[in-house]
Amino acid sequence: MDWDKLVQLIVNGLTLGSVYALVALGFSMVYGILKLLNLAHGDVLMVGAFMGWGVLGWLGGAQDPAVAVWLLIVLMILVAMVAGGFLGVAIERFAYRPLRRAPRIAPLISALGVSFFIQNSVLLLFGANFRSYESFDLVDVEVGVSWGPLNIWILRIVVMAAALAMMLALWILVTRTKLGKAMRATAFDREAAAMMGIDVDRVIVKTFFIGSALAGAAGVLVGLVFGSINHFMGFGYGLKGFTAAVVGGIGSIPGAMFGGLFIGLAEAFSVGYIEDLTRGRLGSAFSDLVVFLILVIFMLVRPQGIFGKPEVKKV
Amino acid sequence: MRKALFVVGLAGLVAAAVVTAAVARPAAQAAPAQIAACTNVSLGFLGPLTGPAGFLGQEQLSWLRFGVQKYNKAEGTRFKVVLGDTQLKAPVARTVARRFVSDRNVMAVIGGSESQAVRVSGKLFQAASLASVSGSATAIDLTKGRPYRTFFRVIPNDAIQGPDIINFVSRNLKARNVVIIDSQDDYSVPLSSAIARGLRARNVNVGRESVAADDTDFSSVVANVGSNVTVVIFATQVATAANTLSNQLREQGKRAIVFGTDGAYSPSQFKPRSGYVSVFAPDLHFDPRARAVIREYRRFVSKDTSGAFGPATYMAGWVAMSAIERACADGTATRAEVVRQLRRTNSPSIIGPNIRFDAKGDLRGGGAFVIYRITNGKYMAIR
Amino acid sequence: MSTGSQSPEPPRIGVDEWVASSEGRRARSVADRLQERLERTPAAAKLVALALPFAIFPLLVDSDYLKQVGIDTLIFVLLALGLNVAVGWVGLLDLGFVAFFGLGAYLYASVASEYAGRHWEAQFAVPAIATAVAAAGFLVGLPSRRLVGDYLAIVTLFFLQIWLVVLINASFTRGPNGISDIYPLKLFGREIVSLSGYYYVTFAAFVVIVSFLYLLGRSRTGRAWRAVREDELAAELMTMPVNRLKLMAFAVGAGIAGVAGALFAPAQGAVFPASFDIVLLITVYAMVVLGGAGSLFGVTVGAVVINASLEALRGPDDASWLFYGVVVLALVLLMRPRWLPVAVLGATAAFGVVVHEIAEQVRPSLVSGTTFGTASVDRLVDSWVLVPEGAVGPDGLPAGALARLAYIGLIAAILALTLIRSPLWRAIALVPVLYLTFCVWENILLAQPAVARFVLIGAMLVALMAVRPQGLFGKQRVEVV
Repeated sequence: MDWDKLVQLIVNGLTLGSVYALVALGFSMVYGILKLLNLAHGDVLMVGAFMGWGVLGWLGGAQDPAVAVWLLIVLMILVAMVAGGFLGVAIERFAYRPLRRAPRIAPLISALGVSFFIQNSVLLLFGANFRSYESFDLVDVEVGVSWGPLNIWILRIVVMAAALAMMLALWILVTRTKLGKAMRATAFDREAAAMMGIDVDRVIVKTFFIGSALAGAAGVLVGLVFGSINHFMGFGYGLKGFTAAVVGGIGSIPGAMFGGLFIGLAEAFSVGYIEDLTRGRLGSAFSDLVVFLILVIFMLVRPQGIFGKPEVKKV
Repeated sequence: MRKALFVVGLAGLVAAAVVTAAVARPAAQAAPAQIAACTNVSLGFLGPLTGPAGFLGQEQLSWLRFGVQKYNKAEGTRFKVVLGDTQLKAPVARTVARRFVSDRNVMAVIGGSESQAVRVSGKLFQAASLASVSGSATAIDLTKGRPYRTFFRVIPNDAIQGPDIINFVSRNLKARNVVIIDSQDDYSVPLSSAIARGLRARNVNVGRESVAADDTDFSSVVANVGSNVTVVIFATQVATAANTLSNQLREQGKRAIVFGTDGAYSPSQFKPRSGYVSVFAPDLHFDPRARAVIREYRRFVSKDTSGAFGPATYMAGWVAMSAIERACADGTATRAEVVRQLRRTNSPSIIGPNIRFDAKGDLRGGGAFVIYRITNGKYMAIR
Repeated sequence: MSTGSQSPEPPRIGVDEWVASSEGRRARSVADRLQERLERTPAAAKLVALALPFAIFPLLVDSDYLKQVGIDTLIFVLLALGLNVAVGWVGLLDLGFVAFFGLGAYLYASVASEYAGRHWEAQFAVPAIATAVAAAGFLVGLPSRRLVGDYLAIVTLFFLQIWLVVLINASFTRGPNGISDIYPLKLFGREIVSLSGYYYVTFAAFVVIVSFLYLLGRSRTGRAWRAVREDELAAELMTMPVNRLKLMAFAVGAGIAGVAGALFAPAQGAVFPASFDIVLLITVYAMVVLGGAGSLFGVTVGAVVINASLEALRGPDDASWLFYGVVVLALVLLMRPRWLPVAVLGATAAFGVVVHEIAEQVRPSLVSGTTFGTASVDRLVDSWVLVPEGAVGPDGLPAGALARLAYIGLIAAILALTLIRSPLWRAIALVPVLYLTFCVWENILLAQPAVARFVLIGAMLVALMAVRPQGLFGKQRVEVV
């Protein structure tokens, strides 16, 4: 057994997984409240990534940043969160709110349209070329925590820590504040919540803002740790984030965190071991299949996910 | 009753359509030979202007336009460029190719930029005797057995690139353990397989990995690279991907360096501490003999972001325009005449020795790929 | 069912009284009247109206390119008809639909290509492929049938992804290289080589399928499907076999996509994995939704309109005509009273002249650029719309922050416009927004028409869902609460 490889794969999986978890949180919150699959969520991540890239360029680029590196990263994340949040609110206001009473299929088609629109708008404005964060120039890959043969790049640690901090903040928000209570009440029963004097529309707007801000931050984290971004990256992260939300149990915050890490690790392990396990018949190209199969199996066997409660349909 | 009538009427319609279909003549046979008056001649550009390879097509197009402007000024001609965006998709390329065939002013096509576009358009162009000259399609099968008789290319093909890389990696770098990564597209998979076969024949241990074309994280693939591996060959279209790969190798303390192919070429995006890249044409920015051309190009575009992909298309346009002009010596020209003139091409080139085509439409003598060594992000041509 | 608002009529059977009266109460737009007219047209007339233009199209055009576009359009029509079964009739959001199209194409490649070493005749191959793909649709539907709405969408999307991963990486499909030596269609011993020939074969398939769907839609099954769409629970309580109905819809839709694929492969001469992607999926959705999900006539028209527009928007030559034409048409159709669009357009023109004049005095570089457009309409507006020097770089991308801000600002302005309630203020605000639209079109969108058209499709889907979710020819469903 190659322990170095195993530990390395765990590190890789946790990095990816913390990004997936952030995306999954947004999916989960929105689905919990509106019962709406926000297919454009991944594209908010992509826009956040481009926002961070813009801030980076504006502050002098990776080779010659005008401010301290830690401040630069904080600024990139903050700008991306604000932009992502407002984008999410705009999507809700213009694409979903007019369709609250429409048949279920209408907002989904609208979401497809939003996603297509955002992707192609970014393509129109920034081109198809991959854009580079040049984060390897920002912080050299050999700077980090060394532990035996293992070397963890400092930006990986930043990404994991930032994701964890945001999830904790969200957890406190949802369980300890008045807004959190209102959100839980709305998710439980929107009409009853409205009758109790909760301004449901405002709760929904705030939910979208928070969820999309997390996605925007995730976009910057992806750019920082993997170095390049493009206009269609949102699709892949959206799909994986959704899978994470389902695996963890949609609507559950610890579920989304757990699901994200689970999918991240599953992806890393499948790339690392699929060739050994299938005796060379399937290469690393098939690793995505593993993630998709996990989703399909969960959907069919335990659609409520690990942390979710089975839904009872009221007639 | 109504239903029966409906069915009968239907059957009649279908039968009529099928009979018409079977009886209809191939249009190509009936079409008259293309005669152009040589006053309003266009070159069609067939390449990806949008989509994931949009940067490639845009760079080629800007060099093509530069070449057309220069040629027109020098020769007093009035060539124009008609755009045909393939979006890197075969069906789109085919539709665009049809449009070029139907457009009487198009006397030659520059492209297809990607080998797939040539595969779906080659037969159409052949049927219309329309010449196409590519500055970047390197796949071997495009000229093997001459499937498309009006296709030319001004660059060497992968039958040259594969052995070049194999020789270099096994002789110059003396690598014994190599990992080859493809990016799951029609360019990288055959090339990777050919290199893997060649290296194994020389008793090099070869590991194969594969990543999706739009992947940006390779850390788990890197975890599969053994500590005894010295070279990772990455056949990719994306330079930033090669950059991330080489940094993640270093991050995990692997000593392997990245050897990128064509698409990895980008001095601004692929800049490892140490690495190699092979590309089908030289980057004129590093060629002291080409200073004048680069200066002129910079005046033309105002902001020069180009690398190694444009100049070959400039040459493709140049040889096509001179062939058309020779065909037009008597005032009119047919497309077939242009193809004949192209075969006789013997033109000085900004990217290497004179361009002359062999019977298959390849460069006579095959040409050579350029290999760059990269040290601390600085490129140096070593072959 | 006709709603003659002129004469009082007896209550219709099967229609709720409130629903019936609500139709009369609604304000009727041009599209509504069009849709009502359509409903009164007999089926045979509709079939002729659909088939006749298609039948004579190749006789009217001479260019191979247009014939190829005709074939593509017919194949898109088939796809839209197939998707309509699941989406329009049963209300299942199937995001894996294009996989069946791909399966059909690859199956054809496996029975008639040099690679496969076989050449089946089309009269056997196409029905066999249709059956096989329908069976595949049945199998995909099997695990999906218990999932409601959104979950079904995502599971089918994952099936599409799995299909693509297999296509790209499996060796028997020759991976990303695709299969590029596909034999032409052979019908009763005769090979079809001409474009017109392919066109008529595809046309025949269209006639067969549209008639089949017409009969199916009026049959017991068709009515049951619509019942499931309206209320699954109620349908189940009426003892309808809901699961079996859903599976049937999957299978029928898939089979039609299979036929489209089997015709697409020989028409292209090659199949590649990259041909069956999300962009294609969204395009087909746009066709179904624009024409009106559930209406055969509607989705056919939707497919023709969208494919023709996409084709016209490919290059900058015809794009501007289409764009300005649609803008003016939309204003004329949507604004009341009749003189208002004229006033708005006039005011926009005046506004533009003033802005252009001021810009020329203040900073001449703001107007000294040249537009990418080649149509005469572009030259016309060039003297009136701001075309700054160097707004778009040689790579076709906006060169400065200003150009990008103009684009984002336009989106924000259009969204804000929808929030203005008063018609008067809305008309007044429309003037600068319209001018900004023209500026962005001439400067940014025209530089990359191939991308701009997808931006427009995305925007159309969102706008359509908000304004007229039933599409042009679909019937509005009234929710009885």
